Amino acid sequence: MNAMDFEYAIKKDIRNNPIVREVDEARQRQLWRSVGIGLFLVIVLLFSAWQHFELLRHGYQIERMQQERAAEEEINRHLRLEVETLRAPRRIEKIATEQLHLVAPSRGQAIVIERVTPSAPPDTSVVAAR
Amino acid sequence: MFIKANREAKPADWRTTVRSRVLVCATLLGLWTAAIEARLMYLQVFEHADLAARAERQQNRTVSPAAKRGDIVDRKGRLLAYSVDADTVAAVPSDIDDPNDVAAQICHALDECNAERRQAFVKKLSGRGSFAYVIRQISPEEARRVRALALPGITLLKESRRYYPNSELAAHVVGYVGLDNVGLGGIESAYDAQIRGSAGKLLIQTDNHNRAVFSRVERPATAGAGIELTIDQYLQFVAERELRTGVEANHAVGGSAIIMDPLTGEILALANWPTFNPNAFGRVEDDLRRNRAIQTLYEPGSTFKIVTASAAIEQKVITPETMIDTNPGSITFPGRKPIYDTHKYGVINFTDVIVKSSNVGAIKVGLRIGPERLTQYVSKFGFGQTLAPDFKGETAGIVWSADKLNDSALASVSMGYQVGVTALQMATAVSSIANGGHLLQPRVVRAFIKDGRRMEVAHKEMRRTIEPDTAATLTTIMEQVVERGTARAAQIEGYTIAGKTGTAAKLVNGHYQKSDYNASFVGFVPSRNPALTILVVIDSPHGNGYTGGAVSAPVFKRIAEAALTYMGVGPNLNPPPPVMVARHDPSVEQPITPTPAKAASLFASMLEPARDGLMPDLRGLSARDALRLLSRIGMSARLSGSGFVVDQRPQAGSPLVRGVACVLTLDRRGSTPALGGPQ
Repeated sequence: MNAMDFEYAIKKDIRNNPIVREVDEARQRQLWRSVGIGLFLVIVLLFSAWQHFELLRHGYQIERMQQERAAEEEINRHLRLEVETLRAPRRIEKIATEQLHLVAPSRGQAIVIERVTPSAPPDTSVVAAR
Repeated sequence: MFIKANREAKPADWRTTVRSRVLVCATLLGLWTAAIEARLMYLQVFEHADLAARAERQQNRTVSPAAKRGDIVDRKGRLLAYSVDADTVAAVPSDIDDPNDVAAQICHALDECNAERRQAFVKKLSGRGSFAYVIRQISPEEARRVRALALPGITLLKESRRYYPNSELAAHVVGYVGLDNVGLGGIESAYDAQIRGSAGKLLIQTDNHNRAVFSRVERPATAGAGIELTIDQYLQFVAERELRTGVEANHAVGGSAIIMDPLTGEILALANWPTFNPNAFGRVEDDLRRNRAIQTLYEPGSTFKIVTASAAIEQKVITPETMIDTNPGSITFPGRKPIYDTHKYGVINFTDVIVKSSNVGAIKVGLRIGPERLTQYVSKFGFGQTLAPDFKGETAGIVWSADKLNDSALASVSMGYQVGVTALQMATAVSSIANGGHLLQPRVVRAFIKDGRRMEVAHKEMRRTIEPDTAATLTTIMEQVVERGTARAAQIEGYTIAGKTGTAAKLVNGHYQKSDYNASFVGFVPSRNPALTILVVIDSPHGNGYTGGAVSAPVFKRIAEAALTYMGVGPNLNPPPPVMVARHDPSVEQPITPTPAKAASLFASMLEPARDGLMPDLRGLSARDALRLLSRIGMSARLSGSGFVVDQRPQAGSPLVRGVACVLTLDRRGSTPALGGPQ
């Protein structure tokens, strides 16, 4: 090592322990205000992001439910069709006569039950003429 | 000195180097940022419209939800035609590598698939297009099997399909619908514009996976209007069943039957045989889809004598008692063969001319009426013109103008030849006699139902045909046709029936056939307070007989018997005390637990007081059990309400007077008193 390379520094013993930094209340308030504003902005940002994602989530949910509803309605229509098909008089008569061996009642076995509300009568003049 | 200078130059060097490098980096970064900014500006400003449109296309889908066709129901709201979604197999042919294999797999998944069909699939799948229907509107079970195959390039789409739950029932009236949801026959075609509705528009926002995120209805799909027919499902079934029985028993070619309400013109049933299944209308010949009752003309024969008789009585040409000489049982006109009666009737009154269906008598009366007056009444009764607005393709018929009616033609028209009528025209004409002379427009549409609102179609009187007195006289004559004339096979015990038979030889290639006839019967019942007009026409019967009285009148009888019982029309000849049932408001009905076992166990004990001549206590019994018990002790009943007996007159324990009607009050609302308890 060359002696020319040495560098010398004069170290001065400075004792600043007794120095107490004075709290700058204005800066402190400014700091807290800044932190508050920052937090507020972050919260607003997070809230709007949350809203956006909730909107998306509900959008998917609504679409899914609408599809489910449409499917249920379609099932309902299919079931109604099935009920009406099963109620077809031709099918019922076939089961009654071929499987249950029922027979149609003769006129003597059947009672005609008259309705209290009859259809409108023909012209009075016709009835009178008869 | 040198050392010091060197020491001072070194820091300046690396700072310069760093500074220059930083400068280069900053410049590059700035350029990069500027490039990005420039690109962004280019995209967002200059390319904005194009890119926005592309995004719109990618993110938004517009679909057109198809409108459901309106339902077609009978007069009691029972479904006759209904639409549900069905699966359609579609393909992207360009995505399919082996069309033969895919076609074979699809074919295997279907219920019915032959080599020809499979070849058609191969042809569809072999194209290079982006879309092709493979097979449309398959059953749910078939769709499940095709879906399970998970074939590449094959998708299942939803399409609305029309179903007819009662298959053949009222097929000619209701009609049928093609694959593209367009009505092709019957009511489906006549009111297609109202039933079809209009497709909607739905905007769907999708994500990058093409999943729907939001949807907005731009224009809702408008469902088609529902149609309530005047047809009654049960009466239609009865008419079709009995017509088919009649046609098959008589080895006939076909036939038609119409049940009409003579007081409103409503068609309660319109049956044709042979018929078809509208769910598979494509598999039958066109001829089977023809609505014979409104499209086929036939010469009515003697049923048309009703028109001749109406004109003669109304115009006071004759009276029912006017004597007419039908000797020698035939009549001759120049240039044609003699016209014969079935038997030689001698001199008979006009009533007997109709009752015995004398051709000679009718011709002589027709000649007295004259061509002008007869054609006037033919027209008045609605022949030679279309009547029903609810049917497409109705045939007007063939009638003569008065100036072309010479004596020979007039003679033919008088007995129902040389005129072409439809079954519907004949039923409508006879209904006008039944209702006292009003020609009512025959209707098959009772109401339109749109957005939950029911708009009833008003009955329309077209004109007056005859005076009420003439109608009454004709009714009396027609009653005798059934009582002692050619239509005794139509008699129903307890009911008066007015009717007329008709037997007309069929005209083929200008010659009347000796083996093919149109056998018909038309009548109304009960004749004094008509509830039903029924017409039966059987085409070319080759069984035990060929006349209207032998072939069609029994069919009329069977249809009328079932219809009268179903409609609750009681006998009008020596009627028994009626069993009256008041229609109860279903909205206030609350079912209670029936007690059949309890009632059955008490049934025998309830007969005990009757043996002592006292009225049994019927409270708590069902209406059916109460009626059964009363009939055993020789009493009739009048019922009020529905459900179980809550009150009775005469009271339980009072002296029993046989033959007196017991009035029973029925209720379903749980206030049934304890059986046998104090009143």
